Amino acid sequence: MDPTEHSQVLPHRPPAREGLSRVGDVVYEIPRSWRPDMRVPARVYADAVLIEQIQRDRSLEQLANVATLPGVVDAVYGMPDMHEGYGFPVGGVAATDVEEGVISPGGIGFDINCGVRLLLSDLDHASVAEHIERVVHEISRAIPSGYGRSSRRPPLAYDELEQVLARGVPYVVRELGWGTEDDVDSTESNGCLPGASSSAVSQRALLRGASQLGTLGGGNHFLELQVVDHVYEPEAARQLGIRKGQLVVLIHTGSRGLGHQVCSDYVRTMDATMSRHHLTVPDRQLACAPFASPEGRRYFSAMAAAANFGFCNRQRITHQVREAFARVLGPNATLRLLYDVAHNTAKVERFDDRLLCVHRKGATRAHGPSAEGLPRACHGLGQPVMIPGSMGTASYALLGTDESAGLSFSSACHGAGRAMSRGAAKRAVPGHEVRHQLQSQGIVVRCVSNKELAEEAPLAYKDVERVVDVVHRAGLAKKLARMRPVGVVKG
Amino acid sequence: MQTNGYQGLEEHVGEVRLGLRAPSLAGLFEEAGVGLARLLAEEPPERHDERVSIELSAADVDALLVAWLDELIFRTETTGCVFDRFEFRRIAPAALEATALGGEPETWRTAVKAATFHGLRIEEGPHGYSASVVLDV
Repeated sequence: MDPTEHSQVLPHRPPAREGLSRVGDVVYEIPRSWRPDMRVPARVYADAVLIEQIQRDRSLEQLANVATLPGVVDAVYGMPDMHEGYGFPVGGVAATDVEEGVISPGGIGFDINCGVRLLLSDLDHASVAEHIERVVHEISRAIPSGYGRSSRRPPLAYDELEQVLARGVPYVVRELGWGTEDDVDSTESNGCLPGASSSAVSQRALLRGASQLGTLGGGNHFLELQVVDHVYEPEAARQLGIRKGQLVVLIHTGSRGLGHQVCSDYVRTMDATMSRHHLTVPDRQLACAPFASPEGRRYFSAMAAAANFGFCNRQRITHQVREAFARVLGPNATLRLLYDVAHNTAKVERFDDRLLCVHRKGATRAHGPSAEGLPRACHGLGQPVMIPGSMGTASYALLGTDESAGLSFSSACHGAGRAMSRGAAKRAVPGHEVRHQLQSQGIVVRCVSNKELAEEAPLAYKDVERVVDVVHRAGLAKKLARMRPVGVVKG
Repeated sequence: MQTNGYQGLEEHVGEVRLGLRAPSLAGLFEEAGVGLARLLAEEPPERHDERVSIELSAADVDALLVAWLDELIFRTETTGCVFDRFEFRRIAPAALEATALGGEPETWRTAVKAATFHGLRIEEGPHGYSASVVLDV
């Protein structure tokens, strides 16, 4: 089949960066008029340094491509940590009308519901610093990390796995005992995306996922013990139970092989059915289907199911971390979930009386204080947003704003964003040097692979402080607290 | 099967690009499999105890290559084996039948999660076939 059947053959066009202009303090825009196939403008939140970094790869082109999707509304957005992805850039947000528009698996990504949760202890780091190494050791023994490493426990039975996909965190808390009702309340969408159906998930995806629930995986997934070293909003922090010097735990992982298989399955499905819907896209990885079509509905159900697996993965890890804490620090060492956010999903949300499918790929929902469905502790404050830094650098907790609804479909960034290929990172700094640097900062490290340490070294990522600063200046979310790592379990 | 082909890893921001060349289409797919195996494990498996039969169809040859790599990734993740020897019974632009042989590696190298269409195009020229495939890791 001629590949041009899947893509429009457009006349040669100049690079997207030539259409870029600064339209605000930290806002850049490629106007809709830049390309005849763009339906909306493309806006990027960035400062001068970040926009220069963004222009080094093809993420601007990709964002302009996203602006061509049928049914896309208002504008497509790039977050300050944006970098080149597959089809959609990582750090991209796009909303499509659910009646007239499409849904695209590339707009969610392979790691469906890769996300982050922050657990708050009632301990000061200073009082338990001598035990951190033991805690990290216990956690690394309890939680498999790295590629292909499955849970040491028997895989879930298929009927249990189907319940995980359909019911999410409420199921694993209430039926399997892996947490509390407060965990349900403090997870985005209460840990269960509506519309999930295990019947839309392939047997292959189920097979990949059955033994991976409660595992970190590799790549940029990690678990960190951190200490709160700065509070930006004292009153909000006090209300949420956050204080300077507090020991906290950040968990970053997703839906593992199950989510990857779902994405692969449906990219292939939609790639094959687009012509039937008279759809063309400028990039094959943007394969899509009308949201209201059988293919679109089925993918949405499968995506929601995989997202629920991701929530449950982090919930099971939480359960295991709590047990590890108790073994080392005593039964009174508790960990309370502040919030769990997803940063690779599509969700049906209402904006200005329109029902939209909001694609967030490497972007985090950031609802403001007026939003419904926030945990009780967050009433009047906004939704917590956790932004992990790279290894050895700070992570941040922020609060969503009401203004972000009109700025980015209530979205903020998800991390620091890669600035360098894995090969370049390994050439720049050997893994054992990264390990030594982390240890010299007093950070306990558990990672079996020096190669992976090098690939995930801080220099491979953008400056998280700068990224978060742009989010704050743009009004997408506001800074709440900063945390620095004291222990790392790396995939 | 010796293809007189080539597979190598190329730089790509964040992920891995596999560069491929071979005199035949079957050779290209074999090089893709071998390249994937070399990315997955530090050394080839010493024993090839695992034998799987693979039948695939796709919309076109580009999609078939993505499907082939995804199939090998799925088999690796679910069997714990790396596959680096292949016997093709049939290969056409939109379908293939093959047997893959593999074994447990001594040491894993890179977690490969999926093959993508990103920048993919199989090209045929006077000296055979070439392609580059981006793998999500």
